[in-house]
Amino acid sequence: MKVEIKLFAGFRAYTPNTRDRRYTDVPDGSTVGDIINSLGIPEEKKKIIFINGVHGTVDSVLQEKDRLAIFPPVAGG
Amino acid sequence: MEKIIRVNMSDLSVKTDKVPKQYQGLGGRALTSTIVASEVPPTCDPLGPDNKLVIASGLLNNTPAPNAGRLSVGCKSPLTGGIKEANAGGVVGTKFGRMGIAAVVVEGKPKKDGYYKLILTKDDARLEPADDLKGLGNYDTVAKLTAVHGEKTGYVSIGQAGEMLLTGSSIAVTDRENRPTRHAGRGGVGAVMGSKGLKAVVVDDTGGAFPKPVDPEGFKKASKKLLDALKTHSVTSEGLPTYGTNILANIINEAGGYPTRNFSEGRFEGVEKISGETQHDVILERGGEIKHGCMPGCVIQCSRIYHDKKGEYLTKGPEYETIWANGANCGIDDLDAIAQIDRLCDDYGLDTIEWGATVGVAMEAGVKKFGDAKGAIELIKEVPKGTELGKTLGNGAAATGKKYNVTRVPVVKNQALPAYDPRPIMGIGVTYATSTMGADHTAGYAIAPNIMKVGGEVNPLVPEGQVETSRNLQIATAAVDSAGLCLFIAFAILDIPSGFEGVYEMLNAQYGLNLTADDVGALGMQVLKTEREFNEKAGFTKADDRLPAYFLAEKLSPHDKIFEVKDEELDTVFNF
Repeated sequence: MKVEIKLFAGFRAYTPNTRDRRYTDVPDGSTVGDIINSLGIPEEKKKIIFINGVHGTVDSVLQEKDRLAIFPPVAGG
Repeated sequence: MEKIIRVNMSDLSVKTDKVPKQYQGLGGRALTSTIVASEVPPTCDPLGPDNKLVIASGLLNNTPAPNAGRLSVGCKSPLTGGIKEANAGGVVGTKFGRMGIAAVVVEGKPKKDGYYKLILTKDDARLEPADDLKGLGNYDTVAKLTAVHGEKTGYVSIGQAGEMLLTGSSIAVTDRENRPTRHAGRGGVGAVMGSKGLKAVVVDDTGGAFPKPVDPEGFKKASKKLLDALKTHSVTSEGLPTYGTNILANIINEAGGYPTRNFSEGRFEGVEKISGETQHDVILERGGEIKHGCMPGCVIQCSRIYHDKKGEYLTKGPEYETIWANGANCGIDDLDAIAQIDRLCDDYGLDTIEWGATVGVAMEAGVKKFGDAKGAIELIKEVPKGTELGKTLGNGAAATGKKYNVTRVPVVKNQALPAYDPRPIMGIGVTYATSTMGADHTAGYAIAPNIMKVGGEVNPLVPEGQVETSRNLQIATAAVDSAGLCLFIAFAILDIPSGFEGVYEMLNAQYGLNLTADDVGALGMQVLKTEREFNEKAGFTKADDRLPAYFLAEKLSPHDKIFEVKDEELDTVFNF
């Protein structure tokens, strides 16, 4: 299935190269954790995960055309 | 810190007193709010002779504690009409610590037109005429003062906006490069300083030194606990130093709460061009600096130095709030234009949040089009000219909305909302509505648990849990604001209890006290109670603890949310 994967801050380096610049192909029923592993993002770091703008977890199951965003622990002001 | 310096602008006298009993043991916001509540009539004209401008040092500013050195500025606000504390980094807070100054209280009003500078040294405090500084921006003001008083001196100043008594004006404090880039921004504090004919404060700490703690070994241990927390938490040790505060742009945008085009949408299509990641890359490409501390003793180093296309210094940062206000909120995606506006805000002495919110309202009114970066720069250049347009805009979002009959004006207690929409982030909405400061994000930074999973996790999209979240953060913040510590230590100490212990154990070791964690909370509560009481006497009622009505009616995309915390719940925030 196709999902939109956006990686930010220190995770930018793990951004997948895709021919379709917006969507990445992933196996149906992938969890956020599956995608984190397949991209090689370090597991132990705490992460801020958004799926379609709502907080998710590594166990959240993704659907077709979901917008997944992953941030390392960050804050600002 | 033993000294209170009283500056009477009516007779131009300056005297130094010991801190009286009723103000002992207080610092920063606790001290400014207590003095203002005790000595300023709550119904006075904020630009008249009865208001007082209190500049206070935090309790740990006379120590080498990590991230101490913040300076608090308090008064009755000419923007909100209520009590105000605005807080800045820079070099002056630490200098006050070395000089034993707890507070400077500026009172009265000069009988004749004219400007003065207050010169503070280790052993002296005096006023001198400063009409040669009249009409100058903060950068030229600091340059002229530096030629006389030196580069190692700290400077507090106002620009043209404060001289014109504009209610969107700020007070500048010099940074470690001797530039006027750190501001006590919110609430028109610059206008109060201008109304008293005070153009600048010269802070020369030559010969000054930190006093010895009562318990030097205890202080070292406690200080290390805070330092370790700051160095281990990823926010304070990696995220903030690398990307600065503007790392938030993409997160808040992703969360759907990044106010776009005068709070009409929750995501900005141009966010990538003004993001913290892009800013980081541009800064490094052009030879600017990241990992920069605005105060001596800062270990977080979230500030940065921004160069223009030619590789020359332009401005600091800019910070997340500034880039949001003058970027997404105006539909502008040109980072260089925003940096130029930041430079001009620092120079003229304008609160960048109030300014950007104001331009958003002006764009809604059709004064310029959303997205017009050149037009936005033209607007800010009106301010030092003193034109009617410049004065209207310089007086803030509410004044501008009134002038142009705009209905969608994002203010609480007349002060503009900062960079988080309250509809999909309801915790910060509670803080905006109820804080004694007006719409203020730092006063109870619910973004931490609502978005960043720091200090807990509270779903931002529902009303449940938000009142308690905001209440607890407002109490904790009032305490941290009194210690002279940068509020960003909260990201570490909310998650690492030993860091929090380090804070009050340092106070105990420095001053020979026996504070517990509960005492810290009690201090915060006392400060808030004092402020609430002042506001009540100034005429505020629960009707003033509300968001503008359209936040309860207009759904914000992409989540299509309205603000759902009920009025009766908002009225329970101060039940303690």
